Amino acid sequence: MTVKRIGFMQKLLAFSGVDPERLLLKWVSSAEGPRFAKVVTEFTEKIRSLGPSPLADARAGRQPAAKTSAEAS
Amino acid sequence: MVEQVREHVRKLLTEGQISAFLGLRDQDGNIVPYVFEKPEDLDDGFTLGEVEGALPARYPLAKLLMVLVSADPEKKFGMLVRGCDERALYELVRWNQLPGAADRFVKVGFACPQELADAHECRKPFPDECVAGEKAQPVMNASVKELDAKDLPERLEYWSRVFDRCIKCYGCRDVCPVCFCNVCTLEENALIRTGDLPPENPIFHLTRAAHMAGRCIDCNLCTEVCPAEIPLRTLYKKVAEIVQEEFGYVTGEPGDAKSPLNFLGPDPGHTSAHD
Repeated sequence: MTVKRIGFMQKLLAFSGVDPERLLLKWVSSAEGPRFAKVVTEFTEKIRSLGPSPLADARAGRQPAAKTSAEAS
Repeated sequence: MVEQVREHVRKLLTEGQISAFLGLRDQDGNIVPYVFEKPEDLDDGFTLGEVEGALPARYPLAKLLMVLVSADPEKKFGMLVRGCDERALYELVRWNQLPGAADRFVKVGFACPQELADAHECRKPFPDECVAGEKAQPVMNASVKELDAKDLPERLEYWSRVFDRCIKCYGCRDVCPVCFCNVCTLEENALIRTGDLPPENPIFHLTRAAHMAGRCIDCNLCTEVCPAEIPLRTLYKKVAEIVQEEFGYVTGEPGDAKSPLNFLGPDPGHTSAHD
């Protein structure tokens, strides 16, 4: 089921303006410690190379505005 | 047109083919869903939802039928159906939300005018069988292509802007004929932070979009009710497109095909499980 959802979700993210590369699905068994480390390290490096999430910017940009209107009222 | 439908329903009620009819009634100028139980009830305010100077009033009648059918297991109901209502019924049957389905209701279909089809960019503005009305031409939606042509930052900017208008009224969910869960993720604080306005975006709307995958029958009621005029239609049309690409599944069609996200089954053709 997850496999099905991930392919769908990547396309939906792309349509919403979020890089689908930021979502990854891998199967790692509990007996595969080294593989787990490798997968996570690779993905961390990839995310780092992609830079901060644009959604963080969008949210940060919104917060002060929300505060100002609350203070004004 | 309303006369043809009314007389058809009268015949069904008189002959006892149905014990009640779920339709629309004009109550002092307000159009509301109504259960007609006797043939003579049909003479008091029976309507197809026509409103002077505006588009016809529509309701998620399939959702109401779901309640009626489960509340009254003995009765057989008739229901007023447009193309979208019929798609909702087909989808609800596939999701086992209308137990004993085919034997429990009789559809009384009529075709929508072209004006309505155009306004909602309807993919099939008529049910399979029409008692009345001329079939209008299906209309294709252009807004998905328009957004697809933009790049990632532009799309993000677009959706952030429209989603941030959301006042979290849950209108899109409440009006949806195929939203039938008893517990809703959109109200779970652990998954989507509650108490914020606008809601946590795009999580709030994308969560709903993901849950509508393989379900949304494209009736456009959500877009119609949204007080913030968020173009949900564009989002859900894309959802339908992805579901078709990934799983070859089209919602709202007759038959007992299972919605792809409703069962464990064949892989979608590509996985990251076997790399």
